[in-house]
Amino acid sequence: MRKILLGTTAVVSAVVGSAVMAPQASAQEAPTVRIGGFFRAYYGYTQQSSRNSVTSTGLPQNVGGGTESIPGIGTSTTSTNNIARLGKHDISTDAGIDVIVSGKLANGLTYGAQISLNSSGLEGRQLVQGRASAGKTTVAVDEMYAYIAHPRFGQVRFGDEDGVMGGLMNSGWVQGFGTGGVHGSWESFVTRQAGGRTTTAPGGLGDASKIIYMSPQFFGFDFGASFAPNANVGEDTGCPNNASSGYCDTAYAFSGARNFGIYAAGPEQNVKRNEVQAALRWRGNLAGVGLAATVGYIGAGAARDISTAGAQSRVFNGLNIWQVGAQASAYGFTVGANYTFGDYNFFWGSTMRGDRQAEQLTVGAQYTVGPFTIGSNFVTGLFEGGSRSSFTDSTTGPLVQGTCRPTVAGASNSCAGMRRWGVAVGGNYRLAPGMDLIAEWVHYSVREQGRDLDPNRPGVQSRAFSDVFILGTRIAF
Amino acid sequence: MTHASRPILALGLALVVLAACQSGRQVRNDEYGTDNARELALRQTGANPTSSGIVVFGVDRSREAQGGGTGANAGGGGMTVNAYLWRATLDTLSFMPLASADPFGGVIITDWYSPPQAEGERFKATAYVIGRQLRSDGVRVQVFRQVNRNGAWVDAAASTATNSEMEDRVLARARELRSQSAGR
Repeated sequence: MRKILLGTTAVVSAVVGSAVMAPQASAQEAPTVRIGGFFRAYYGYTQQSSRNSVTSTGLPQNVGGGTESIPGIGTSTTSTNNIARLGKHDISTDAGIDVIVSGKLANGLTYGAQISLNSSGLEGRQLVQGRASAGKTTVAVDEMYAYIAHPRFGQVRFGDEDGVMGGLMNSGWVQGFGTGGVHGSWESFVTRQAGGRTTTAPGGLGDASKIIYMSPQFFGFDFGASFAPNANVGEDTGCPNNASSGYCDTAYAFSGARNFGIYAAGPEQNVKRNEVQAALRWRGNLAGVGLAATVGYIGAGAARDISTAGAQSRVFNGLNIWQVGAQASAYGFTVGANYTFGDYNFFWGSTMRGDRQAEQLTVGAQYTVGPFTIGSNFVTGLFEGGSRSSFTDSTTGPLVQGTCRPTVAGASNSCAGMRRWGVAVGGNYRLAPGMDLIAEWVHYSVREQGRDLDPNRPGVQSRAFSDVFILGTRIAF
Repeated sequence: MTHASRPILALGLALVVLAACQSGRQVRNDEYGTDNARELALRQTGANPTSSGIVVFGVDRSREAQGGGTGANAGGGGMTVNAYLWRATLDTLSFMPLASADPFGGVIITDWYSPPQAEGERFKATAYVIGRQLRSDGVRVQVFRQVNRNGAWVDAAASTATNSEMEDRVLARARELRSQSAGR
């Protein structure tokens, strides 16, 4: 066996070494370590319906509070007495530090690593465990990966990074104005009521530990693929003690999995497993107009739920998403559109069995003249919201699938799909290279017929919306 | 893994084989999208993510390439003229022999060139790329003309339209280069 392996390796290295790794005329560069970063401060004026909440985890469904998967602890313990009244004014700050390593070998191979530290890793605190929580400005690692690239064989990235359809090779997302429009920083000012805060943009797919391959460009085309074995990042198994639970990175079935179709708000916990992304992109230039188009696919399985009886139940559809997008740039204008379709939730979550497929259309335009950039983007989509399927524990066998039908006529139910749309207008003034002054307005709406999106008010409120006006500055270095 | 990902995997492997056989163009890191807040801001404001920040270990080659070498010019603050206009001017004047090109001052001077179809006259061009902005007045081209009278080259007036035509060509080429990179 060893002989075969050695022989194979020798043949591969001979072929690959001569054809792919052939030395090229290239100056070797010693590695450099560069430190950069960003800071931003925005003032926001927010109008949001259903902002005064009675529960912390009631809406939307498929999002656990972080304790649902621990055997012996049932649903969230924080479901009562969390009534709060929220104001409209706030200032939101964020900062990040990047460490970037890069070097080049004499044969043309470039290599490096990036480690991004970000102070927005923790969204907020829920004092389930008192002193166990950390401050909102706690610095956490966002992306961290190493890369090796060669002019002939392309680039491999290995680590915690977005996948090829999670932001690296997408086209048609026009968000280079303001803070990003409907996919920008307005989310820093609204609460999660009715799921209005979360949007379905490429970066939201997450940078779970993965391996990524991206090809060189041939005749305008390049392609890429990535694979992540599970949804988690960082080192260690994720299990804090010898009781294995859903916190373990590699858990393919765990108790309470049905609550983690979408990432849990606090801990990194999600049922996504074996995520595959593939993208094919074309870029070119026709009559002075820069064009880019991408078609891509995202697929994943989901962890199963273990009932009290010990049976494993498949409660989720895996991710099964297609996306096509295109954009054009000329004379300072950029326009683009993107269409995403398939099995996914409104925050790239796994839908439950029996839930509807989602579709989303995003269009945008921006114009840059001198130091000014103005732009607008619009998103509309139809998703599963409250999930028309529900699964309840069973002491005798697999989980039991319930229905969305209300027991009392007229009561809140989740039998309808969720319509979401948002529009944004924004502008930047470039004060200096790397520094912007920003103004932006975003409106976002969530509608789900028959489901109460604001339990704090009498009756069934089927619509939730938010308007955010942002003024601020941002500097990157 | 779902049923749809299998043919994609097969296609991906086939494309990898293609990649190994064909020679393509290397895709730079700044041609990929990013979720990194620093890089997004730098790209949006026209700054270069690969040369921003501070080098704490190694030689800062981006500044060396832009600001010029060692001594008094070390860390000189980056390229002083617009890169698109500079490249476009070089492309446009490349049919003539180049006498000198100074990327820091933005001056390109060609040698005398006699077109095959006009043996009795020759031309020389001087181009100035002005400033960092990609603007229509960011380039000036001056064309000089000499005619051969009895074996000696004597100065002659060049049509003023020639200068502006050359400038138009440079601007058109710069626009092309800009739109190519804008598609990324």
